[in-house]
Amino acid sequence: MAKKNIRNFSIIAHIDHGKSTIADRLIEYTGTLSEREMEAQVLDNMELERERGITIKAQTVRLDYKGKDGQMYELNLIDTPGHVDFTYEVSRSLAACEGALLVVDAAQGVEAQTLANVYMAMEHNLEIVPVINKIDLPSADPERVKHEIEETIGLDTSIAVLASAKTGIGIEAILDSIVDYIPAPEGDEHAPLKALIFDSFFDSYKGVIAHVRIVDGYIETGMKLKMMATGKVFEVTDVGCFKPQPKDIGHLGVGEVGFVAGSLKDVRDVRVGDTITLAENPAAEALPGYRGVNPMVYCGLYPVESADYDNLKDALEKMQVNDAALVFEPETSVALGFGFRCGFLGLLHMDVIQERLEREYNLKLITTAPSVIYHVYKTDGTMVEVSNPAELPPKTRIDHIEEPYVKATVIVPSDFVGAVMEISQEKRGEFKGMDYIDTNRVLLTYHIPLNEIIFDYFDRLKSATRGYASLDYELASYQTSRLVKVDILLNGEPVDALSTIVHSDRAQARGRQLAAKLKELIPQQMFEIPIQAAIGSKVIARENVRARRKDVLAKCYGGDISRKRKLLEKQKEGKKRMKAVGSVEIPQEAFMAILKID
Amino acid sequence: MASPSKGGGAIPKRWGVYVHIPFCRQKCFYCDFASFAGRERDEAPYIRALCGELRREGALYRSRWGAPATVYIGGGTPSVLPLHLMEELLVNLREVLFMGDPSAMEAVEFTIECNPGTVSEAGFRLMRQGGVNRLSFGVQTFDDALLESIGRIHTARDARQGIEWARAAGFRNISMDLIYGLPTQTLAGFRRDMEQMLALVPAHISVYGLQVESGTVFARWQEGGKLLLPDEAECEAMYDLMASRLPAKGYERYEISNFAKAGCESRHNLSYWQDVPYLGLGAAAHSYLDGQRYGNAEQIEAYLDGAADGSARREEEPATREIQMEEFAFLALRTSQGIEKERFQKKFGATLDAVYAEAIHAMKKKGLLHESKTHVTLTPRGMKYGNLVFAAFLL
Repeated sequence: MAKKNIRNFSIIAHIDHGKSTIADRLIEYTGTLSEREMEAQVLDNMELERERGITIKAQTVRLDYKGKDGQMYELNLIDTPGHVDFTYEVSRSLAACEGALLVVDAAQGVEAQTLANVYMAMEHNLEIVPVINKIDLPSADPERVKHEIEETIGLDTSIAVLASAKTGIGIEAILDSIVDYIPAPEGDEHAPLKALIFDSFFDSYKGVIAHVRIVDGYIETGMKLKMMATGKVFEVTDVGCFKPQPKDIGHLGVGEVGFVAGSLKDVRDVRVGDTITLAENPAAEALPGYRGVNPMVYCGLYPVESADYDNLKDALEKMQVNDAALVFEPETSVALGFGFRCGFLGLLHMDVIQERLEREYNLKLITTAPSVIYHVYKTDGTMVEVSNPAELPPKTRIDHIEEPYVKATVIVPSDFVGAVMEISQEKRGEFKGMDYIDTNRVLLTYHIPLNEIIFDYFDRLKSATRGYASLDYELASYQTSRLVKVDILLNGEPVDALSTIVHSDRAQARGRQLAAKLKELIPQQMFEIPIQAAIGSKVIARENVRARRKDVLAKCYGGDISRKRKLLEKQKEGKKRMKAVGSVEIPQEAFMAILKID
Repeated sequence: MASPSKGGGAIPKRWGVYVHIPFCRQKCFYCDFASFAGRERDEAPYIRALCGELRREGALYRSRWGAPATVYIGGGTPSVLPLHLMEELLVNLREVLFMGDPSAMEAVEFTIECNPGTVSEAGFRLMRQGGVNRLSFGVQTFDDALLESIGRIHTARDARQGIEWARAAGFRNISMDLIYGLPTQTLAGFRRDMEQMLALVPAHISVYGLQVESGTVFARWQEGGKLLLPDEAECEAMYDLMASRLPAKGYERYEISNFAKAGCESRHNLSYWQDVPYLGLGAAAHSYLDGQRYGNAEQIEAYLDGAADGSARREEEPATREIQMEEFAFLALRTSQGIEKERFQKKFGATLDAVYAEAIHAMKKKGLLHESKTHVTLTPRGMKYGNLVFAAFLL
């Protein structure tokens, strides 16, 4: 396809504003899939994504569209993840595009996260076409939303398309706008190949399949190519586009988007962000513009059954193929045995990975409470990064500790400003600013410890604002804080996996809450279990799980046997989700108890 | 329809017959068994259908295995049946299972469950003549106010009177049931119950800790916060009293909830724990035949509809080797004899250790199991925490 007839674009939207439905309609309208082939929400094809209504993996699809001018156009839609945790994935996708549709709900208007993604698109110099979606809703107010877009983002909305993906209104207009307003790609077909890897996935037949955008040159089957960062050389076995299933067409030209595979077995050879070039005649330098991945949240992942350690390792490795943001390294816990310290972009990312490990790899896991990375300055003048509270050096060897702060942006209706301020203050946030987006919506900026965000900041915001608050945050700086480690002792024995780092002002309260929560979560056992929370050697809270006095089915006669066996099976199932630490059986949830404190 | 293989299979050493009578004058508030009040109209058709099932299934297994070693008529409340229906049932049992030969019944343990509120002298004489030689009395407590509050239809006096009549009719082998942990019950109250029961010198005693089962009146009360159960410590004290007092009076604890004078253990109930086959007749009756468990339709109507052609009986989940091992183990562990290693090996072709070494080791470490050369048994502490041990024996 000639460059001038190619358009590469993505869709930016807040969760629920209709991005996936619009993508579905575009696929349907261009006949890429027949209605019969069309599953609702084609692009969100991971089971988990459907359940949660969010996109986690970016997907790509090529649409063939006959424009108003009678010419055929190749429109490459690069779907982007829609959650604050997946900012990096969004950035990768955006870098492969020349333009973006900004989808805004005609009733809800602009949200904090939409803003963040729009700004990112602007950083990538993308042409942005606003799409006001859901105009069929009774509460739709497209004019107000247009005004909002102009005011807050500074976009010209004269080209905005009014649409309803649900009813199909405006779909053709969207396609025409893509052709009209989004620039065709540039690039030199005759220059040495430069292709950006913006995603990848593992296929059990073809090996690692890289999603690529050809910036210069072209790719054909049989070519010998090289990854510029890893140095891996491979021969192209498959090259093609997504319809939306991968389709081998033997060629990808300059400006095009598609995939390339070449019996790449080792996931570590295909780094998202790397540039593919020719093995023989490589490009002088790699493509710029990709950010590194910095996990912000860490937690320990341990198999309930220690025999599953290798399976967990395999699963994490496989998961990492498709997820550049996931990092992990082996870790040992006195209480939990062998496992992995894993880094994530955020809490949702962590949740999703954990759930996929359990679901897709059938693993039973214990997740320890999430932690941020602390910079611990020791008395000997050195600094260590600590993401596992259990590894905090002894108090006497710590000079001071720094914790990460983020710049948090919250957008709420003005009625809720008070509530947001109260919660933010309680979470040790420093107020930085307040701007009116329009007459009744306010953008609040806070400087706030990440540690507080990953606890329940967003949940609390949501419930205090009846769900209206939207939040975005980015790492701002490290600042010195008075932090202490609260340890938990069960039956007199410290359980390292339950240790947590908290601000000293609330250590007492946290310790008490944590002990109380554990009392709720740990089931009665044959003996009494004292629970203590301690800072160093000082016990700050105590609780007791009373002993279970007896546990035996009184009756079991002929008619009862199958039923009683099922009861016992349930009991055994429950036990399987417990980890024996010393003589105490601890349920999985207990290790996340700190998150369940209210 | 699944039916056990008619021919093959080894002939068991013994087998039993269970007959379910699903009728009650009133449903007790804790009861989740298949039993129904106010269904007197169904009694006659029910007995007819039951006798039909007996003539078909009972005759089949009698021809395969000979006369059963035990017969147990339970409920519900078997003693609620009008005497002519009781007679019809007993006559049919005798004809089909024992070819009408009274001498063939002498060695058989033949039990009927009685509610003291539904018994009569004439009834006991009829039962005795019909070959019944063992009675199980649902006494539950001797506290009249408590009896009323748990939905029982009788008083302590009724219980004493019933036992007197039964003895007069010639019954020697009499069992009594007690429940502890009843609402508002105290340790002192339960101790009085125990002593009053011991004063009646039953041959056999069953004592059950109350369990609130879903779907019962008690469950509803509990949800509404209106069920005032004694606390765990008090229930434990009642349990401890039972476990120490009854053996002291010469009743051996041969199963978690069952105590008997020497030689008076319930052979029928032991069947359930010792892997002995049994045929269940009637609504909701369960069978264990050729290693497979079956259950009859629970509702009276469904049973009446299906009894004639055998479709009321359904196979429960197919007994895999694993399930058979699990049940063999946890049922045997309920008894004082425990798991007999040699029997396990003979039945499954694998040593107990090969299958359960880990579980046995773990439970011994917790002090819940005791192992000898020939047997694995619960320790007294193990009896208290039996479920932990049973669950550990699930594969």
